[in-house]
Amino acid sequence: MNAFLAPVSSAIASVSTALEGMGQAFSAASEAQIALSLAISALLFVIGLVGFMVRRNMIIMFLCTELMFQGAALAMITVARMHMDVSGQVFVIFILTVAAAEAALALGLVVLLHRRRETLSAEVWSDLGEA
Amino acid sequence: MVPTIFYAASAAAAAALLMLLLPAARKVRTAGTVLGLASLAWILVTIVRAIPVTDSALGNVGMTVLCAFISVAAAVRVITHHRPVYSALYFVLVVISGAALFVLLSAEFVAFSLVIVYAGAILITYLFVLMLAQQSPSETGGADAVEYDRVAREPAAAVTCGFVLLAVLGSVIFASPRSAADASADQVAAVERAWADLGRMPDALLERARRTDPQVRMVVPRSNGAWIETQRDFTAVVSVQRVDSDIASDLVLSPAMLPENTARVGMALVTRFPVSLELAGVILLMAMLGAVVLARRQSELADDERRALAGLDRLAGSEASPARSRG
Repeated sequence: MNAFLAPVSSAIASVSTALEGMGQAFSAASEAQIALSLAISALLFVIGLVGFMVRRNMIIMFLCTELMFQGAALAMITVARMHMDVSGQVFVIFILTVAAAEAALALGLVVLLHRRRETLSAEVWSDLGEA
Repeated sequence: MVPTIFYAASAAAAAALLMLLLPAARKVRTAGTVLGLASLAWILVTIVRAIPVTDSALGNVGMTVLCAFISVAAAVRVITHHRPVYSALYFVLVVISGAALFVLLSAEFVAFSLVIVYAGAILITYLFVLMLAQQSPSETGGADAVEYDRVAREPAAAVTCGFVLLAVLGSVIFASPRSAADASADQVAAVERAWADLGRMPDALLERARRTDPQVRMVVPRSNGAWIETQRDFTAVVSVQRVDSDIASDLVLSPAMLPENTARVGMALVTRFPVSLELAGVILLMAMLGAVVLARRQSELADDERRALAGLDRLAGSEASPARSRG
């Protein structure tokens, strides 16, 4: 494991010497923090995915897609930080926009479906057709 | 080379999640919680030990680990809690610890908009819909949640799929670390971009020049037409006129004068991605119209039903004729 990540540590050493005395926006992001954040984003995405497959309540299924959005947004921010570019942050703003639109529409659909069958279970809709 | 230790920790985490998802005794769930926290700690410690941490970054790494525990534990509660309202509240915890991670990655603006948009707007919508649609516990009999919230669907298959994905993601993330040369080239390009952004903000540029030297009257373009010129040691040079003379002279800005994150995000939003910004507005408008269309009552109402919905009947009952003539 140590040999496997050795190039990263040498990269940190050279960058962190270059970063001495820089402004706040450009200092103190270590490669370890970036690796940790990427691991957290992968975990959040996977937990959201498992939840989407496992839960049977339609509202919670959509909540799990929001969890996946969180993981993706965290990965965006982390890679933006790694390359010290702001495009990743701008992309997260658009992710927020799409998530808000998706929540509004999906919850509207859930309310309609609930009115038809009086239950939130996704399984009553396993045979799609004229209800 | 692929770190097998990472795979082993992922497998342990998968087993823990499975134990939490299965409808099992309290003892099994406690064991699952302990195993899950232990395997999460194992994954994080593996990463931290593989990459040496400098003393100045120690605080940030510690805070990141803390936020990792909070957000992952809360995310697991979101998918395992039997009561949907608690799931939604745990999701708020995920959002807040995620915002803390964003701040640690110096993305302050996005962190605040995350809290405002997610915790403030989207989650409130979810709670409203939950309260509209959820049967109350008394209707379903007893204090326990309804059946479709208690029993998971295919937990073993789902957890296997999910953690195979995690292992693949892990091997991709940690397989090809960037070289030192790439990292420092990134660094140089990033600082150049940041100074170029400052060159497009006249007010901020003048303010920074004045902070460096209070005698500055105005900033003028340099001989090559640019406002700012980056140097090799990450400083930048601008041409300024001082109060006592009309002749332009050079002024060196230190890296501490680089523009803040929020200013640069705004700059990128309106200069590099203006079309996307407009499209985001169109998406929001479409979502609003769609929500209105979806929420409209599908059935046609008769006249008296419409009056009843508008509350006119009650008005008519209390003060008979004037309300009727107004209606």
